[in-house]
Parts: sequence; structure tokens; C-alpha cells
Amino acid sequence: MNRRTFLQAGGTLGAAALAGCSSLISTQPAGNPPVIGDRPAAVYYPTHVEGMDMVGMGEGGDYRFGLMYSYPHRFWNVTGSDTTRTSIGSGDDVHIMASVWDGETMQVLPDTGLSLTIRRDGDIVFEEVVYPMLSQRMGTHYGANAGLAGDGSYEVTVSVGGMSTRRTGAFEGRFEEPASATIEFDYSQSARDGLSRELTPDRAGERAAVDPANMEMMPTGTAPDRDALPDVRGSATSGDAEFVVGTLDSPPAGIDAASTYLYVSPRTPYNQMTLPAMTVEAATGSFDGELTRTLDSELGYHYGTVVDSPGDSVTVTPTVPPQTARHEGYETAFLGFDPMEVSL
Amino acid sequence: MTDGRSRRQVLKAAVAAGGAASLSACLDALGEDTVDRPTGTDDLSTLPNRQFAWDGVVRHDEHGNEQLPRHQILLYLTLERDGRPTDADRRQVERAFASLNRAFEWSHEGVVWSAAYSPAYFDRYDESLPAGIDCPPPHSLSPFEQPTFDEQDVLVHLASDHADAVIAAEEALRGNRESANGVEFDASLSGVASLASDEDRRTGFVGNGMPADRQSELEGVPDDGPVPDASPLFMGFKAGFAQNQATEDRVTIQSGPFADGTTKHVARIRQRLDDWYGEQNFEERVAEMFSPEHADEEWVEGIGENLGDDSRVDETLDTIREQATESGRVGHAQKAARANRDDDGSVKLLRRHFESTDKNVASLHFPSLQREMSSFDAVRAAMNGTDLTEATPVIRQRVNNGILEYIFVANRGNWLVPPLSKRALPRPR
Repeated sequence: MNRRTFLQAGGTLGAAALAGCSSLISTQPAGNPPVIGDRPAAVYYPTHVEGMDMVGMGEGGDYRFGLMYSYPHRFWNVTGSDTTRTSIGSGDDVHIMASVWDGETMQVLPDTGLSLTIRRDGDIVFEEVVYPMLSQRMGTHYGANAGLAGDGSYEVTVSVGGMSTRRTGAFEGRFEEPASATIEFDYSQSARDGLSRELTPDRAGERAAVDPANMEMMPTGTAPDRDALPDVRGSATSGDAEFVVGTLDSPPAGIDAASTYLYVSPRTPYNQMTLPAMTVEAATGSFDGELTRTLDSELGYHYGTVVDSPGDSVTVTPTVPPQTARHEGYETAFLGFDPMEVSL
Repeated sequence: MTDGRSRRQVLKAAVAAGGAASLSACLDALGEDTVDRPTGTDDLSTLPNRQFAWDGVVRHDEHGNEQLPRHQILLYLTLERDGRPTDADRRQVERAFASLNRAFEWSHEGVVWSAAYSPAYFDRYDESLPAGIDCPPPHSLSPFEQPTFDEQDVLVHLASDHADAVIAAEEALRGNRESANGVEFDASLSGVASLASDEDRRTGFVGNGMPADRQSELEGVPDDGPVPDASPLFMGFKAGFAQNQATEDRVTIQSGPFADGTTKHVARIRQRLDDWYGEQNFEERVAEMFSPEHADEEWVEGIGENLGDDSRVDETLDTIREQATESGRVGHAQKAARANRDDDGSVKLLRRHFESTDKNVASLHFPSLQREMSSFDAVRAAMNGTDLTEATPVIRQRVNNGILEYIFVANRGNWLVPPLSKRALPRPR
């Protein structure tokens, strides 16, 4: 393969330190390697790892925003259990990514609607609803490939919609309203080409994942540690995801009931990233039905319900996989699930 | 300028640009010296008291669907004076409006038009609007939009099949020339109401072929020119089927000082159609515009001409949740229709939207008439489909959820359209 080596972009120290993710080896291949033919139906190590750079951060309403960019990526959209590959378009200059989180708890908000409007000298050059995506390095974020109008200064407005996901605990009543923030983006193709790109032929296709990005001022979409969750009863694995199950004596604030609260917290293997926007059903005791997608300040994003008389065990059955687009290495995982049994 | 192509180019840009130069370029292109359209009347009693009574005087297609005039201008005017208008202001405005009635026939060949007033305008008075008038200030109508609210005083809406007619009407009304269509104006709005910014003059068009003719180099429409030649709208389908529209009677305020009036919501919406055309096939577009059932049953051919006067959306409402779960999509029309029917099944909203290339961005001006503004709010809430996002994660806030992914609301305004008898700077009582 014809490779060209680029010097690491100098960049601004602040931005690089903030993102902490421009530190990979700078190797620029002429093109992306093909997608592996015999990928496992599970999480796998991708064919290449690209660096990204922080564009900036902003605040609006209840939300904090981070904006990053990288090379255009191939990714897979998910509708129901079907994946559709989006290839890199000829007009695409960057993969632009936004992350949304709560400044108080530093929890990533994985299930909002988000749009990006990119303007240059007041004129719109890009405006789209940007899909939630799941990547090994960041977990849930929002991303799209975008074409720009050459080197120059852009204004990127990140707009988030009010959440309809149930919110509980300290999140009750929060994230109701839409908000936006505008972040300056000085783009140049040479700076983009200075971002790292490492081919990983030795590990590609291995059942493993790239380490999460270590971003000092910005959280990744990591699920709470199992040890940090209250009253965990057990866990099970299906579709290559781990489902941690717990029961609380009473539900989190915001749910008006006095009975047992059953929660299920699914996460990716290796990196422990939250898996949002699923349908998860459960059966225990007299309860047999859908769990409610819920964002809680302590339990994190989870699936939960009030159960009047739980049995000795619970059967957990995910029926709709996470409706998030997938970066390479996640597109064959978390798509189909078998029922799981966990003792309570 | 006589060759067909340059004539079309001129006419295409004329209304959006406006002004004297556009009017003369427009006339040159038509090979005319002056505007020569049917003139109107000085007997206001021969005109409908309902300013929005357009249906009887515009074209209809072979199925009986109202065909809105091809060229339209919205003037969002601000009063020059603080506080209440004076009787002299009122007389001047009425003389200007009466002049417009004399200058152009009340039809698509002349100019149909209306003047409407914002809740902010009525705030200039000590008294409030009568309790029966449901027309609050504009507000956000979805969990994700952050529009600019239009709170200018007066909205003048001009419409004609002829670009020269709407431009001439605007020019005379604003006082930029003393006559239009060969008829001297007794007065203009100048000195009483004017455009406070360039943003307050908005224009558009609607009609088969007009969007396709204007799609090239337009921000929001893909470069490969995907808008079908026959389509009246950028998204590639007809809208406003007669059986799915309210009648003018249904939207008319029945009693009180504003009887024969109506309420008018106008949104300005940017369209971003790269993914609409680039990532979806025809069947998927049908599913998101109408319903998944329309796509499965192949009810829609081309731009939907074959639907006649009825979109058939009422047949798809009861099973919307099942369609969402099974096909992973819900249709725009089916979602909205859920809240757009009376108990007897009649439709509440009369939508009269048209397209725009203002600032070279593909946009939609969305006027909707209804007796009570709350009916519009309810239809928009149904169109948000929040209940369906809760039913299944496949339907997201703006993805797989009708056309919400492709439309960005930039402005919203609420307006009271008084009867003709009170069209000049009305008092609230």
C-alpha cells in the first residue's frame, strides 16, 4: 500500500490537550482499507484508527457541548435490526462530531435529537439532523460527514432538542427545553491531514476494541461501573453486550410508586459504553412487559420499571437493538439478542 | 431580451429581488411596456368580506384542488409610530388598500391579498382582543425548534399568477411608485407602516415545474437536480388535496367584531433535502411524506397526481403505531392528520404553503388558516410524533419521523386576519 507520512500537526496546545486524542502515530494511507470480509458478529478491532481534534466547547441551557472533527468516516446507520452502510462521499471533508453532557454529573446524554448548522460569512454550508453514533473511543456521540467550502473560519451551531426519555433522580425536570451553542471552527485541509491515522492490520478483526479516548474536560459515553451501581443482582451477556441487572427497594425520584424498581444497564464489552435507544422487555413475578428508557443521575441511562412482586429471577429480552449509527468495529455487534435469565 | 431562456431567468428572479428594476426587467421579458392585468373595483361591497376568500377566484386542477397563485410576496410591516395608530393613519391605510382593490381584479389574474395583524400589534391598545379570539403570540411548537418569532405589526400577503402584478402591487402599496396596472393610488402605506429590515420582505412561488426550474445552485437541494419536473413543491409531491383541507367556512370566525375573519399562522422553514433525495428511494419518501401504508400499497405514483382530490391519509390513522413498529417509519401526513379532524371528520386547517428561494436557500413559507390558533398548535404537536418516539426507539425525535429530519423552522408568527371591513389598523374591539 502506498503510504505517505505526515508530520504531526502542531495545532494549538490547548485544543490538543483538551481533547487528549491527537496523540496517535501520524500515518496517512492513500485510502481506507476495505472493510474486513469475515468480521465476527461481535465487537471487533477496526482496520484503522484515526485521530480527532477538539474544535471547541460551548454551553446552552442545561447542556454542555463539545465539538470535534476527524477525517470523513464510513459508518453504518441502524433502523430496527437492519444496518445500512454510509460510505464516504466525494464532497465530504470532515467527520464532524458533537458530544452533549450534563456539566454537574459529567454524564453524556445519549438519547437526544441533535442538529448541526455550519455557516460561513453568515451563509449556510451544512445543516442536518445529525445521528447518534456509537464508537469504541467515544461511546455515544452525534456525528456526520460534512462537506465544507474550503479552508477558512466557520461558525458551527450545535442544537439539541428537549429529551422525551424519562428523567429521574437529580435529572427530574431537566433537559426539557431545546438549547444551542455556536462554536468557531477554523478549518484547513492541511490541519486535517495532520491528524493521525494508524493502520492496524495486525489486530484488525480481533475480538477486542480500541481503548476509549481519554479526554480531560469532556466525558465519554461510559456506563457506570458495576461496583458503583446500587443493589446489583447479577448480569448476563447477549449480542456481545453485557446487561447488568439490579433492583432497588423503591424507584428513583420522579417515579411515583413505592414498589421494587427493576433496572437493566447494558454496556459494550471492553469499553463499558452505554447502549441507548433499545427496546428491552422483562418478565418477573407478575410483570411481563417493556422497560422504560430512563436517564437517572445515579443509575445512568438504563431501562427500568416498577415491579409489584418480583420473582426469584428475571428474564430480560432486548427486542429492538440500539438505534444508533455505528462506527467500524461495532456495526456487527448488538443487533440480535437472546433472552437472558438473571437471579434476583 | 426575447429568447425564451433569458426571459425565464428574469421572471424566476424578479419577485425575489423586487423593486423597480425587477419590475421593468420583468416587463421587458414579457415584451410589455406597462403592467396590463385585469383591473379591480371601487365598490368594496362587491368583494368578499373574508379577506381569505381566495378559493372562488383562483385556478383549480382537474380534481378540484385549489391551485394557489404562482407568485407570492409576504410583507412583514412595522408601524412607524409608537403606541396606538391614529384615525389619520387608519384612513391612509384604508385608502391605500382600496387603491389596490381598484388596481387589480380580485383573482389569480389580478391580485388576491390580505392584511393581517399580530398579537403584538393589538398590544398597542389598552383593551385586549375579545375572549373568543384564539390568537396568542407565537411560541415554539416542537421540543427541538428555536425559531425567531415574527412580531411585526402587519402582514400583507400578495398573490398572483403574474410576477409583474405582485411586484407592481407591492411597489405602489409601499409608496415606491404612484400607480400600478395603470391605476393611480390615492395613498400608500409609506409613513405609516414599512419594512424594518430586509428580512421582513419574503417571497415565493408554487406550481408545477417552478421548484425544478429553480433548483440549480440552490442551497438545500442536492446538486444533481432531483426535484421532479412536474412537482409543485421541492419535496417532490403535491400537497393540499381538497378532501384534506378545511373549507373557508370551517376556518371563519363566526361572531363578534372579527366575524368573517380568521387566524393565520405563518412559519418560514428551511428545507435540507440532501438526505431526502440522496439516502432515500421513492418508496421511502412516500412512506415518510404520507405513510408506510401508502408505500406498501403503492398508492402514490410520481408526484401524487393519481391521488386525485384525496391523499387517502385518513385510511392510515388507526394503525399508525403498528406501521411505525413494522416499517420503522411514520408518515408526515398521517401524524398531522390525527389532530386535524373534527368529531364529524371534517378538516380544521386550510394550509396554503408555497416555496421560496429567498437568500438562495430552499425554503417553505407555511401559512395555515384556522378558526382557532390552538387547532394549529395541536396539529403541529401531533406532527412532532413524540408519542411514537416513546412507543419505539426506531422512531426518533427527528429521524424516521415523517419529514422532521429535512425541515428546519426559522420563523413563526401568529396573525389575526380581520374581515375586509376592519382590515385597516383595526381596534381590538
